[in-house]
Amino acid sequence: MSDSKIRILYIDDEEHNLQSFKASFRRQYDITTTVSVVEAEEIMEKEEFHVILADQRMPGMTGVQFFEKIRSKFPESIRILITGHTDISAAIDAINKGEVFRFIDKPWDYTYVENAITHAFDIYKTRAELKQRNLDLQKAYEELDKFVYSASHDLRAPLMSVLGIVNLALMEEDVQSQNEYLDLIKQSVKKLDTFIINIIDYYKNARGIQAITEIDFNQLVNDVTEAIKFLPEFGKINMITNINQTGVFYSDAMKLRIIFNNLITNAVKFQDARKENPFIKLDIYATPQHTKITFEDNGLGIKKDDIEKIFKMFYRAGATNSGSGIGLYIVHEAITKLQGTINVTSTVGEGSIFEINIPSVNK
Amino acid sequence: MTSQFDFILIDDSAFDLFIYEKLILKSGIGNSVRPFNSAQDALEYLTGQGERLPKTIILLDLQMPGMNGFEFIDQFDMLPETLKSQIRIYMLSSTIDTRDIEKAKASIHILELLSKPLEITTLKAILKD
Repeated sequence: MSDSKIRILYIDDEEHNLQSFKASFRRQYDITTTVSVVEAEEIMEKEEFHVILADQRMPGMTGVQFFEKIRSKFPESIRILITGHTDISAAIDAINKGEVFRFIDKPWDYTYVENAITHAFDIYKTRAELKQRNLDLQKAYEELDKFVYSASHDLRAPLMSVLGIVNLALMEEDVQSQNEYLDLIKQSVKKLDTFIINIIDYYKNARGIQAITEIDFNQLVNDVTEAIKFLPEFGKINMITNINQTGVFYSDAMKLRIIFNNLITNAVKFQDARKENPFIKLDIYATPQHTKITFEDNGLGIKKDDIEKIFKMFYRAGATNSGSGIGLYIVHEAITKLQGTINVTSTVGEGSIFEINIPSVNK
Repeated sequence: MTSQFDFILIDDSAFDLFIYEKLILKSGIGNSVRPFNSAQDALEYLTGQGERLPKTIILLDLQMPGMNGFEFIDQFDMLPETLKSQIRIYMLSSTIDTRDIEKAKASIHILELLSKPLEITTLKAILKD
């Protein structure tokens, strides 16, 4: 409870002023008092205050001089000056040098003080929020910068490959070998298309509106695997699906689709060609509260060093034509948005297991 | 006849390795081409070759997983002078990022930044001198 109270530091050389202030406001505010400006500064080093109240007339240093001194070091705290008599030059100094937010006349009026403190705290809060927003914005800009850098590479690289193949094909006199080049162009174009689809998925996931519906996992898995099964790279993978769904599970079908699609495609892409019986085992256990999904494969596996990084944007493990490093990032983002978790265990040469837990979204 | 060179290609894209290997061999400019799909592997190869390495042209990609082109250059810098003097490095990339371009220009080891796709006339022209 005391954490949410407004924290006030009050400096006045007259002890009885401090006492009466405390007596009036201690229930409402978290109050610290001191008769010494030196001690006040020491306290401020250790603790953060929302509002600083200081008496103007103190021996050694006036309230304005004190504010002027601490202003740059503790810019966040809002300053209020308490004066016993109206002195115009002190008022000018207070505003110009001490950047004081309010004056309070002595003897002070309860409501007036309360009002001043409430407004001071509002300003404190607004400034803190603004600061946080600016930090968030800066972070978003940095991410965007990185995104554009990597995305522009991933968009241009396959195109430049196509141009390179065309150059090569033009040098070729033998018409027969043109087909080989056309096939390479096709692969490169497909790669580019996959990347574009991923970017659209990313955008839909990040900015799109959540559409919560009843999820039929049988239907969902069918839709996703139908599209992948007939790809030439699917090869002889045996896909084993076990779905145990009881009751109604609510979630965002689009995000689940992105998750299933990426994880199955990855299992296909990183299958181990040396293995006799490549498989993907998909287990889904769904209740109205919660769903657990596991993808197990006997593919190439993921290196220990890579496991922590595979969900990072544009991180590519392995140096082959493995893609752009955006697929698992999108999976992670989608799961986070669904307030779920994902865990990976993997052994190189043996295979990988991805375990996902997602709560049902309450409608 | 123009003189022939020994090439090392470093690129994570299997496509591009294939394309540039063929292009270099077909154009007659290359005596041999050794492709690497990881900069780390290429570095290990260079270190292992030591004195035996003939005069070599390296075409180096920039954006690669693991060690990227600039990181390769940092490692290359630490190789013995005798080995480094055998090697000429050209960066070959599709980047249009000005920071990358500046960085490539500033590097003492990167003789030039060539943009993908590699044109054989460009390569011939720069290797002439």
